[in-house]
Amino acid sequence: MSRNRLNEKTFQTLKQKMAEGLLPQWVVTDPEIYELELEEIFGHTWQFLAHESELKEPGSYVTRWMVNDPVLLVKTNSGELKAFLNSCTHRGSHLCTADAGNRKTFTCAYHGWSYNLEGDLIGIVAGDKVYGQEMKKDEWSLRRIPKIGIYQGMIFGNLDPKAMPLEEYLGDMKWYFDMLLGRSDGGMEVRGVPQRWVAHANWKMTSENFAADPYHVQTTHRSTVELGISPKDPLYAGYGHQVVLGHGHGINVITSATGRSAYRFQGLPESMWPMFERNLCPEQVDILSRTTVFVGGVFPNLSFVSPIHGTEGHLHNYLNFRVWRPLGPEKVEVWCWFMIDKAAPEEYKEEAYKGYIGSFGPSGTLEQDDTEIWARIVQASRGIMARDKELSYNNLCNYLMGFDRVEPDNTFPGPGIAYPTCYLDALSRSMHEYWLELLTRDLSGAE
Amino acid sequence: MNRELHCHITQFLTRETYLLDHRKYEEWLDMLADDIVYRMPMRVTKEAKDGPNLVEEMTFFEETKKSLTTRVNRLRTSSAWVDNPAPRQRHFITNILVEQGSQPNEWQVRSCFLFMRSRGSDIDVEQLFGERLDVIRNANEEWKIASRTIYPDQAVLGVMNLSMFL
Ligand code: FES
Ligand SMILES: [Fe+2]
Repeated sequence: MSRNRLNEKTFQTLKQKMAEGLLPQWVVTDPEIYELELEEIFGHTWQFLAHESELKEPGSYVTRWMVNDPVLLVKTNSGELKAFLNSCTHRGSHLCTADAGNRKTFTCAYHGWSYNLEGDLIGIVAGDKVYGQEMKKDEWSLRRIPKIGIYQGMIFGNLDPKAMPLEEYLGDMKWYFDMLLGRSDGGMEVRGVPQRWVAHANWKMTSENFAADPYHVQTTHRSTVELGISPKDPLYAGYGHQVVLGHGHGINVITSATGRSAYRFQGLPESMWPMFERNLCPEQVDILSRTTVFVGGVFPNLSFVSPIHGTEGHLHNYLNFRVWRPLGPEKVEVWCWFMIDKAAPEEYKEEAYKGYIGSFGPSGTLEQDDTEIWARIVQASRGIMARDKELSYNNLCNYLMGFDRVEPDNTFPGPGIAYPTCYLDALSRSMHEYWLELLTRDLSGAE
Repeated sequence: MNRELHCHITQFLTRETYLLDHRKYEEWLDMLADDIVYRMPMRVTKEAKDGPNLVEEMTFFEETKKSLTTRVNRLRTSSAWVDNPAPRQRHFITNILVEQGSQPNEWQVRSCFLFMRSRGSDIDVEQLFGERLDVIRNANEEWKIASRTIYPDQAVLGVMNLSMFL
């Protein structure tokens, strides 16, 4: 089926279709596209590794993955954060196999080479007796992840030494991160460790589902409407603004039919409000005070949601970050961090955590049904009709909501292109356009 | 521990399994004490020096009878998509170890679980396994689960969601 291989023409068609608000379905789980994504997207973009609160003392470390690259992230004695490929430089063995801990040195289980927190090779078993001139120890340090960057406590890594700085990549998302992560004194803290589980899904669709698709809420999560937990109005998740930011990032600022939230400052304790006013600019205070749910994402595979939810009748706010780590075209490992304002009262933190467990994460009454829907997408996208690259079967996904019709609202106080509804495909389109831009960077260079 | 008691508790857990596998969740709720504490801490991979590889601080379930009832009610709606159409599920409970609990009418019961689920026409089987630590109470001639802690053996759960009860 050579006519079904990726070529210049395929990408031209993709571009053309996307300009019309259509995404060919074959790209969802195509194996060749997947391989290309690993190189062209995950090899060059900033990926979330950890939050600073996970690494408290010198010697603290966590092990993470940038898709298939194992990462060892350590806090050095001077308090600096360093990230290495978690692979011994001798024969490449996986160096540290625990999820987290605290150490002064890392010793490889294969031949016993050991490294300090700076990644320097400091010990070679029987070094002097078996190695002579051929061994220059300082050439065999752990390999650094080319770039790491931190913003509001969020630690990211990048495998491309030439990548743009993290702050430039985040762009206007910084303003929203400041509002969500920097509203409280001391910022946010991670509770415990991230939850991890495996979903039958493609990372593009999970990213899009979280970052850009409030439209699904009324149907996918209708069970909560039936229970009387969510409002009956089918437009309820659409009130507010969808904000398209650069580089495929974006956020939905969901308010209500009146543009205000029934819960000022997402129902956070009133004692915290003056703190928000102190830490944020008036525009951020305005948005934060009248929003019910923030949900958005940082391209390619970091998403977040800051809702208000509760299991026992009273509602609480929390911040949930998640990474969709691709394990193949049809599989993602979900990593889910529960975060809460360090400055919140302990009692509130406890209740918010229960609200989170009840709504999101693998057992969440909302999220359970998301996982089912994600599986249904990959399940129906593997056949000849869905996969046909020539689009002979009209195998196109529809991203037409609001296309050419919904105009930006210039009165919105935050940065970015803000549209006056969250039932809109503007953000999804921008994510997929950036996706295509990265995939075709080499091609367009040749043009 | 006398044999009759062990037999009683084993029967009780087997009946529970039957109710769960057949989605008789309301009857299952009746087996739970009103003050039940139902939790599922996380398993992580730790270095040997760092002690038990469990995290109690973050969990997969942190439930009361009320919140479990909400979960059951949700599964009864017409739009709990994980259960509509419903996957097939089996709980296998073994290695039941009964010890006297802290109260005269309470027993501490440890068991191993294997949960398997088949969804739609998927060939791949989802599975989850680990250990449960229950407190089972006999009050007014009735047996109830007073608390349950579920310890998974997987650090990365091999199921796409936890719509089931364990
Ligand atoms: S592979 Fe690590 S010491 Fe040989
Ligand atoms: Fe959802």
